[in-house]
Amino acid sequence: MTPARTLDVSGLPDYEISSRAPLWLGQLLMACIEGSLFCALIAMYFYLRLSIDIWPPSGIEPPRLTMPSLALIPLILSAAGSYVASEGAKQNNTRKMVVGLAANVLLALFFLALRFLEWRTFNFTWQTDIHGTLVWTILFLHTFDVIADLLMTVILISIIAFGKHGPQQRLGVHVDSVVWYFLVLIWIPLYVTIYWGPHLVGSR
Amino acid sequence: MTSTQVSEETNRQALERTWASPRGLLGWLSMATHQAIGRRYIFTAFFFLLVGGVEALMMRMQLAKPDNTFLGPARYNQIFTMHGTTMMFLFAVPVMEGMAIYLVPLMVGTRNVAFPRLNAFGYWMYLFGGIFLYAMAFTAAAPDAGWFAYPPLAGPQFSPGKGVDTWAQMITYTEISALCVAVELIATILRMRVPGMALNRIPLYCWSMLIQSFMVVFAMPAVMVASTVMLLNDRTIGTHFVNPWEGGDPLLYQHVFRFFGHPEVYIIFIPALGFVSSILEVNSRRPIFGYPAVVLSQVATGFIAFGLWVHHMFATGLPQIGEAYFTAASMMIAVTSGIQIFCWLATLWSGRLRMTSAMYFVFGFVFIFVLGGMTGVMLASIPLDLQSHDTYFVVAHFHYVLIGGALFPLFGAFHHWFPKITGRMLNERMGKISFWLLFIGFNVTFFPMHILGLNGMTRRIYTYPAELGWGDANLIATCGAFVIAVGGLVFIANAAATLRRPADAEADPWNGSTLEWATSSPPPPYNFAYPPVVSSLTPMWTDPQLRTVVTGMNTDRREVLITGVTEGEPQFRTVLPGPSIWPFISALGIGIGFAGSVFAFSWYFVASALGTIGMVGWFWPRSSGRLKS
Repeated sequence: MTPARTLDVSGLPDYEISSRAPLWLGQLLMACIEGSLFCALIAMYFYLRLSIDIWPPSGIEPPRLTMPSLALIPLILSAAGSYVASEGAKQNNTRKMVVGLAANVLLALFFLALRFLEWRTFNFTWQTDIHGTLVWTILFLHTFDVIADLLMTVILISIIAFGKHGPQQRLGVHVDSVVWYFLVLIWIPLYVTIYWGPHLVGSR
Repeated sequence: MTSTQVSEETNRQALERTWASPRGLLGWLSMATHQAIGRRYIFTAFFFLLVGGVEALMMRMQLAKPDNTFLGPARYNQIFTMHGTTMMFLFAVPVMEGMAIYLVPLMVGTRNVAFPRLNAFGYWMYLFGGIFLYAMAFTAAAPDAGWFAYPPLAGPQFSPGKGVDTWAQMITYTEISALCVAVELIATILRMRVPGMALNRIPLYCWSMLIQSFMVVFAMPAVMVASTVMLLNDRTIGTHFVNPWEGGDPLLYQHVFRFFGHPEVYIIFIPALGFVSSILEVNSRRPIFGYPAVVLSQVATGFIAFGLWVHHMFATGLPQIGEAYFTAASMMIAVTSGIQIFCWLATLWSGRLRMTSAMYFVFGFVFIFVLGGMTGVMLASIPLDLQSHDTYFVVAHFHYVLIGGALFPLFGAFHHWFPKITGRMLNERMGKISFWLLFIGFNVTFFPMHILGLNGMTRRIYTYPAELGWGDANLIATCGAFVIAVGGLVFIANAAATLRRPADAEADPWNGSTLEWATSSPPPPYNFAYPPVVSSLTPMWTDPQLRTVVTGMNTDRREVLITGVTEGEPQFRTVLPGPSIWPFISALGIGIGFAGSVFAFSWYFVASALGTIGMVGWFWPRSSGRLKS
């Protein structure tokens, strides 16, 4: 039997597109998981780097700084696209969502293109030595995450472009920005590690 | 019927329709209620417990007498590796996750976990990981380098074949599963509690799962780095993480693995503390003594657990000053466990005890765990650890803490919540008989191992000569193992016989304190016709006249209430996704790709492609059950 005392919640909103949604929290936790993984890799890089006198080993060119440093510009700008899209999701503004996500994807593709160009200049692979193993592992895992998120973003764009979106998909756009901010932010320490690591700690 | 009764009946029928699971095989594969997924986790994990138990018996039979030839050395290596792997990755963690998936939504008074499809996906990943390991093991690729697979032994040079690769990739499946559960439990506990359940009114079991889930989030990625990134890639694509000739370091593997491996012990143990608190509270018939102290000491345990890992590596020659820190931390964690033990003792002291079989298991836990904790404090001391490292003293220690600290509370929990999950009361007499058999069998098996270890018997040896004089103690241990097996059979017989009887459990057979007892046994798929509002830590013990319920939720879609993190004030309603076949398809695709990756790296791209297809199906919007803007 219903007790006499009741708390009527029918007046509360049907949904909320904000950081109070459980999905937002879930996405943040997924970022923590990925973040712990990358932090472990950074710790491993310096643990191994400090145990070796010559880094990278002789005959191996350290990764060059110019291209990856320039690539930071489109990457950081792409976060602005994510921001526009997530604001559009909150306001239910389809145009803002599509434009923001498209900007996010295009700038990220530009970043990836620079990254692939840069890879061709490496004179080592993951099989060369431990330095190569670490650099390629970090690059592979981050690239894999970026591509996975871009695929999901493209799918989101098509859902919205077909007009099939409701509040749940708008929430999807909002939390997609959390993933993207994470991938942009985590790249900065990873970039410092693999490109500045050979210069910062110890000397050649 | 009065008009209230009519409207209640309509409400109930509407909820039944909305929360019903589809029928048929496809429906079974699509189910996403927390009850169904929780039951599957528990059942699958108990199956693996049996398998791991049979492996343990085989080892005990081999060691029963000197120079025995029941198992050869190679087979013995495979069996102890499979035993440890099965118990840690396929039983202990998944069974704790399964219990939580079932109990947490009921205890916080909501209708499902926050991400029901992710929950289903996690279960399938776990199941496929278990199938993958055993399918490979039976087709001549059984891992044989121990449950932690340290290189260089587990490296490409000394462990050829696919056994270690199988082990390493099985970790990926089960850790993905555990991470999915951790994320959804945190979101459920922080955002989906009933109105009024402020942080200081969260049931202790939910606190323990919240802490455990955060530990999973930060610890489990490390094991994936160790097993999948370092070990597997070194073995399959020629990276050099653990290869000292190219600058790698086998010791780094130990660091990364143990950065997971030590929190892992607490990932298994902290949920068990939650069981103990719940069972003690209900059967002492008083609120648990020192609730804030218990919560805070569990939080402290969660933090300190990340600062202990080097105590597994005292024998590796690390700098003494660093090791000293880990000794201090290892002793400090005994303080936080001690605080909880004293709070429970105070609860028992001032309560009116009811000795159910669940309580027997709790008392068994206190006895065994305290003994295991004492050898733990001993092993934290470096000189003693150096002497007993890799001996049966350590084997005895960790079985005392893991079986005493996790398995006994789990069995207690099983007896305590069996009526809630199945609607049937277990036979108390049989429960107590199985307790005594397990308790006596356990001590007969593992206590002699302390002495064997101090006498120098190292772990993982497949036999020993008679002149060493270890025969008697080993024979006693083997006899004990068979007593445990009989205890296990009584336990299974009790459950099986009970399941054949008609349902007889009331909603609240133990006069429980928390919300899972507020609904029928077993609960309907929507858990509560009207979610309760709580005003105390023990809502079932407050005056029924003062009870309040939530009304005004839509019943034509899977709606749940979202509340504030700290105060539990209602904020908004939201709709949870319903059953879907796509989590199964995604897990199957990813599972196939992971299995292939043991043979060639390119199978990761197969996993990615199939996973993407599965997830597009998963996320593609459908018209039914959708919210309108």
